[in-house]
Amino acid sequence: MKSRQVRRRPGMSRREFLVRSGALGAAGLSLPALLAACGGSDDGGSSGGGNQLLFENWPLYIDPTEDGLTGSVDRFMAASGVELTYSEAYNDNLEYFAKIQPLLGTGKTIEPDIIAPTQWMAGRLLNLGWLDELPLDKVPNAANLEDAFKNPPSDPTGKYSLPWQSGTAGIAYNIEATGRELKSVADLFDPEFAGRVAMLTEMRDTVGLVLLGEGIDPSKISTFDEAAVAFEKLAKAKADGHIRAFTGNDYTDDLGLGNFAVCVGWSGDVLQVQADNPNVRFVVPEEGGTLWWDTMVMPKGAKNRDAAAKWMNFVYDPVEAAKIAAYVQYISPVKGVREELAKIDPELADNPLLFPDDATKARLIPFAALSEDVEAEFEAAFSDIVGA
Amino acid sequence: MATIQMLRPALRSKEGGERVGLAALIVVAVAVLAVGAKWVTGFAAVAMMLAALLGIVSVVLVALLGGPEAKRALAPYGLLKPGSIWMALFYLAPVWTLLKSSLSSKASRFAVQTDFTWEFSNYATAFSDFGPQFARAFLYAGAATVLTLLIGFPIAYVIAFRGGAYRNVLLGLVVIPFFTSYLIRTIAWTSILADSGPVVSVLDTLRLTSLLESVGLMEDGRLMNTATAVIGGLTYNFLPFMILPIYVALEKIDVRLVDAAQDLYSSPTRAFRMVVLPLSLSGVFAGTLLTFIPAAGDFVNAQFLGNPNTTMIGNSIQDQFLRQNNYPVASAMSFVLMAIITLLVVIYSRFFGTEDLV
Repeated sequence: MKSRQVRRRPGMSRREFLVRSGALGAAGLSLPALLAACGGSDDGGSSGGGNQLLFENWPLYIDPTEDGLTGSVDRFMAASGVELTYSEAYNDNLEYFAKIQPLLGTGKTIEPDIIAPTQWMAGRLLNLGWLDELPLDKVPNAANLEDAFKNPPSDPTGKYSLPWQSGTAGIAYNIEATGRELKSVADLFDPEFAGRVAMLTEMRDTVGLVLLGEGIDPSKISTFDEAAVAFEKLAKAKADGHIRAFTGNDYTDDLGLGNFAVCVGWSGDVLQVQADNPNVRFVVPEEGGTLWWDTMVMPKGAKNRDAAAKWMNFVYDPVEAAKIAAYVQYISPVKGVREELAKIDPELADNPLLFPDDATKARLIPFAALSEDVEAEFEAAFSDIVGA
Repeated sequence: MATIQMLRPALRSKEGGERVGLAALIVVAVAVLAVGAKWVTGFAAVAMMLAALLGIVSVVLVALLGGPEAKRALAPYGLLKPGSIWMALFYLAPVWTLLKSSLSSKASRFAVQTDFTWEFSNYATAFSDFGPQFARAFLYAGAATVLTLLIGFPIAYVIAFRGGAYRNVLLGLVVIPFFTSYLIRTIAWTSILADSGPVVSVLDTLRLTSLLESVGLMEDGRLMNTATAVIGGLTYNFLPFMILPIYVALEKIDVRLVDAAQDLYSSPTRAFRMVVLPLSLSGVFAGTLLTFIPAAGDFVNAQFLGNPNTTMIGNSIQDQFLRQNNYPVASAMSFVLMAIITLLVVIYSRFFGTEDLV
């Protein structure tokens, strides 16, 4: 997922700046070989490691030390004595992949001990053999993992990934621009909104949502033909000028201003925009919304396994996980967070976007893990629609 | 000492200096290119670097110990050396790599290595799949170039001939936008052109919206995410590259030539047409190239100001490189882009080129 939100942070946030400038910066580097400098080539031991840790996560995806509160990173370092370097270098799944591919693909190692790919990317890394098993025997709190996230198709044994945060893609709209409440995927294609509709460049969210609108379960597809109807629908809407733009997380401004009447959006984003602009709404469509989660995985040859275990154990403690959830406002994959969050922020603990009820949960569908060739077909067809 | 004795003629004569200079230039450039393009590796690469070093040493020797004739003959080659090393390493070597990659194929999608297989189908794909993006890139870049010329020439003219004491201030104002990042400036346009923004509301108030829509400049009453916005963004971002060379050309013109023309009963318009315009053409030529070439490869404006039907070839190349992991096709696209631009520039310079480029 491209976007990580922070609550009640007014104006042009650092997040947007980061993502936008990051996108440009990454785009400027046309050959991944240029990025080879970011990795080391020494082979790490299979256990133990030093007292240091490097975690590369998405921007603004953890509570920082500010306003008199001590952030998770600092609390962890004080409690464990591990020297954690928390980096926000993970900006985009495909671009990060392009960056690590020349190293992990040739048997070299990369510097970070933990990285945060979205579940489908974690699946790709696992299939390519670029991941090490997590030191789960030293992470007793891993037992707190919510049942819904256990042994997903992207990591059937559950030994290679632990979810970081989860969220949904659904319909975000500006009620001032639409003039009515929306509740269906079909509203995205309502001619009334022609030229004021945006979709995400994240293929699985956009296509997944359109598939749900067509009554097709995106978790059960395995060939391109099964999803072709969604691509046809998107291609037609694009050719007609119905779709105004394909965006990363930068849709929030346009949505707030009413440039976009309706778009595919992420739950956490909308919570933030709502704080400033109550006209902006988010709904999990009645046909269903897509479910995604970002994971913690250890790239092959990561050195600091003990320190990584300590970190994972720390963030899977419900007390600590609640502090992260209170800040990032996505769905926490840790059991017991809701009770802990109720002590910090009772209002948030009742928010259905953070804690979906069972009926909503049943409508949140993850995208199927695609085989390499099928995925290539999907991505080529989607990039055609995006226009690139 | 014996070596220096042997080199003696080279150190003395004009021919010697020239030979040493030329030979060193070629040896150094080829050696650097060979290493940069990975033609040679391991010991051969070390040998190449030694050869390059030897070339430089020989030049230094002649420069230090040579006779005045040899030194003078050597000077131009010596001055070319930094540029030729730079270009060999950072231009020729990457172009070679790109060319090779454009004719390669990959065993699997996520393979790191590309295999050189004379894969000409990459070029076929580049043309067949990305024709509209190529066409739009040249169309938009061409439109932006014409617009920058129409806007930039009068500005350069006023600064050069009427600027007086404020010339430098005015030139400074032209350059000031560069103090802000290119990306930020482009994103700023999104709020200027927003549906509820100042430009659209003025157009609405003046009842111009439907007129502009009928000529295709607006879509559904909006400017954002239209071809107009993309061309506008390109025009804005590349305007200084047009103004500055034209200014330099105009500034060189002796105003007394215009007086002379008028003394010979030329009208002011005719004097401009017959005297100022021809003398400014070198600047116009340089300005159009500086605008058109980067604009044709630009992807930022199309990404932030355009819609899915206005993407340019730069967007596609970026997508193929960074998102599709399709280096061979992306390389072929880059090459086709370079080839078309080169062709256009050659044709253009045939018709409009002037002897002195600024």
